[in-house]
Amino acid sequence: MLFFGAILLITGLCPTSVHAQKDSADIPTVSTTYAIEGARIVQAPGRVIDSGTIVFRDGVIESVGRRATVPYDAIIIDGSGMTVYAGFIDALSRVGVAAPERTPMAPVADTSNPTYERAGITPEKQVRTLLNPSDKSVDAHRKLGFTTVHTVPHGNMLPGSGAVALLHGKNADAMIIRNDVSMAFQFSGARGVYPGTPMGIMAKFRQLHKESSRRLRLEQMYASDPAGMARPPADIVHTAFFPVIADEKPVFAHTTNALEVYRALTLKTELGLTMVLTGLSEGFDTIDKIKTSGNPVALTMGLPDKPKWAAEIKSDSLDQILASYTDETRTATFRDVEAEKRNLEAKQLVTRQKYVEMPKMYAEAGIPFAFTSYGVDSKDLSTNLKSFVEGGLSSDAALAALTVNAANILGLSASMGTLDAGKMANVIVTSGALFEDDTTIKYVFVDGHKFEYDTKTKKDDAPSSRRRGQ
Amino acid sequence: MNRFTLICAALVFLLAGSVSAQDVLFRNATVLTITDGDLENTDVLVSGGIITEIGSNIRAPRGITEVDATGKYLMPGIIDAHSHIALTSVNEGSSPVTAEVSMEDVVNPYHLGIYRALAGGVTTSHTMHGSANVIGGQNETIKHRFGTKDPDDVRFEGAPRTIKFALGENPTRVHGNRGSGGTGAIVPATRMGVEQVLRGSFENGKRYMEAWDAYTAEAATNPRAVPPAYNNRLEVMADILRGDVLVHCHSYRADEILMLTRVFNDYEVRKITFQHANEAFKVAPELAAYGAYASVFADWWSYKFEVYYSTSYNAAILMRNGVVTSINSDSGELNRHLYHEAAKSQRYGGLNDAEALSMITINPAIQLGIQDRVGSIEIGKDGDLTLFDGHPLSVYAIPAMTFVDGIKYFDRFEDADDMRLQISPSAEIGTFEGQITGRDHIHDETEVLDFFELFGEDILTTIDSQ
Repeated sequence: MLFFGAILLITGLCPTSVHAQKDSADIPTVSTTYAIEGARIVQAPGRVIDSGTIVFRDGVIESVGRRATVPYDAIIIDGSGMTVYAGFIDALSRVGVAAPERTPMAPVADTSNPTYERAGITPEKQVRTLLNPSDKSVDAHRKLGFTTVHTVPHGNMLPGSGAVALLHGKNADAMIIRNDVSMAFQFSGARGVYPGTPMGIMAKFRQLHKESSRRLRLEQMYASDPAGMARPPADIVHTAFFPVIADEKPVFAHTTNALEVYRALTLKTELGLTMVLTGLSEGFDTIDKIKTSGNPVALTMGLPDKPKWAAEIKSDSLDQILASYTDETRTATFRDVEAEKRNLEAKQLVTRQKYVEMPKMYAEAGIPFAFTSYGVDSKDLSTNLKSFVEGGLSSDAALAALTVNAANILGLSASMGTLDAGKMANVIVTSGALFEDDTTIKYVFVDGHKFEYDTKTKKDDAPSSRRRGQ
Repeated sequence: MNRFTLICAALVFLLAGSVSAQDVLFRNATVLTITDGDLENTDVLVSGGIITEIGSNIRAPRGITEVDATGKYLMPGIIDAHSHIALTSVNEGSSPVTAEVSMEDVVNPYHLGIYRALAGGVTTSHTMHGSANVIGGQNETIKHRFGTKDPDDVRFEGAPRTIKFALGENPTRVHGNRGSGGTGAIVPATRMGVEQVLRGSFENGKRYMEAWDAYTAEAATNPRAVPPAYNNRLEVMADILRGDVLVHCHSYRADEILMLTRVFNDYEVRKITFQHANEAFKVAPELAAYGAYASVFADWWSYKFEVYYSTSYNAAILMRNGVVTSINSDSGELNRHLYHEAAKSQRYGGLNDAEALSMITINPAIQLGIQDRVGSIEIGKDGDLTLFDGHPLSVYAIPAMTFVDGIKYFDRFEDADDMRLQISPSAEIGTFEGQITGRDHIHDETEVLDFFELFGEDILTTIDSQ
């Protein structure tokens, strides 16, 4: 036993340890083994150990159980009163990628024929080249419980290629666990040049896909026998479509309203795309369509702003207003403007409520979904998730969306999404049940690396003392 | 009376054992058939969305909804051959030729304009690309099935493809006068340039078609045949040349109208409807000889220089010269009283009732290639019907009910205050007091992404620094 311990110590002392701290690279960590004891462990939605121990070593879960053996070299965390969950996975984001500066638009000589860059068509752009572990979005996301993100570049119609990244690592390559996994697509037109409108984007996508199909065929013909054949035309944009056409890479189509969902599914059907639909704001109107299509979805964690007039309304009077709404009014409106206004306000709240209840509706329809933060301010995520649960989404369903379902969509189920022996140690430790007002996140482990948050209950441990790779 | 249809209908009833939501029986109406005169005290039966019987004392299928139309007028649903309702974007104005874009992709079933049109007795709209480009996008013919949120549900299934062309000031202003001092200007800047863009596009389309035809022939014997570059813009131009797409061309002046017929003659394109065509009366015999159609306003002009010369007799002159003519709205306001617009052709030109009504029913149906389905009250046609409380050409007439496929989508006495299918969850509340009429031409309350709005003085945009 002592012998093995010595080997472990020696291994731990090795200066090339990938877990070394950035600012003291030569000093090894005391141990890379953790045991959280006596905690409530939610291994997966609906699979709970009321009081148990989870052990992970070198970023891999070693054991989870009511009575797991705690290795002598483990750093022990007293989990009493705490709950342990699998780390969250964000199905589509721009975490770790700084937003480009807004620069004045250069005049374009011919708006019908802009450069690819100006037209927002940059599918070849790799997020790996843009990912920065010290971007403030990384920590902002991690402290909410996210340990893994699918992240893509900023941009318009075809912003680039996404990667699955851990929210930990010295550089982009250390963060990325799967590179070049998706083609990001959205209905975001180029301003002032072609394609500027949704119909232009639809036409341009078809054009690029069909011409790329032709070029892929030519490439294959040329590769097998170039004799007598003109060299096939090539550019990086069309080449970036090849893996999509060969069905090696899904299109992540981000939609911001119901009609965009229909448009994306039109392209999917016409061109035979493998697609993941994300966003789906207003998706309460597309539930049947999604159910029929069987297309994987990641719902937005964003909610529309509350109307100004409703900002100060308490939740109990909110219910009253919601109940007062009728769609059958037949007043000559100019006779009673106040009554009309009250009913319009109620209609607006009823409408907003549909956005709040959308995840619940999808759950009730039996459609598995993940969540996406794409286009949503990270400071709103936690509040909005609570709103979804208040709106009737079960906390198990919410947890599933953030863990197992996202892992499924991204093809990560073998290594992530649940707390089971053998999976990656992406673990969060909370003060109580998720999605409740007074619950805080205490620790986030990414690939077994501890990040400590919510230290305010401790006396002499200010938030500024957070260290990575403890 | 079509006995076979009757037997079929009877069989359907026997088998189904009950009536469907698309069944309705109108009792004792004055039926304005359009194609077969007016029928007093007549019943019309719609079964499964199709007109199956016209006559007196029709035996009512058990459980069917009966509408007492005594003293009322039943006419075919009005058809608007030029509209921009129910769209999320109208102009892809970045290029003088955008044949590849299609309103099919941006149909907006939520748009309240559909319901407003129903309130004016309109059951079908030809909802079009704008006039920014010489060759704009393809249009979409829709049925006003208001209430659905699925864009596929409002399409006029089986309607032929159509495309928007535009001549004159709009394309020359948008493309030929772009940038400060015209620094971003491209062809066309003049009417000559417009013709050049048209001929160039047809020429390219022809070559494209020939290249693909040659490839297809070669590929039959040679597995290593190389397909030509794919181009969806030229694909559509080739489809026009093949006669698969009906052209609807925004035009005003007689000279440019003749120019287009000459270009079309050279490329053997036969299916053309001139839209607006305020000076078409000057070349009415020429249009009739070419087989071209016209879709005009009753009395709307002088809104820009090229439309100063016009007359309210335009529609009547075209009709009397044998041109299939319709009266359209091009407006979410005007489409609510197209029956008044048709009536104006009686004041100016003395058309009879049937001729006047044909301009908002069977004639636009012919222009859209849907005359076998709608545009008149005949057995076998769709149950798209409008019930007026008076003769529709009377200034006192009010549409009482509007039906599409036998389903009632508008009833004046069941009309709630707020029929919007969707409202903003965040915006300020707009009430009667604060309501602004809005722009007349295209849209008034939903967000329509019009390309013109994308050209600002100091547009800032996000350009990746990478």
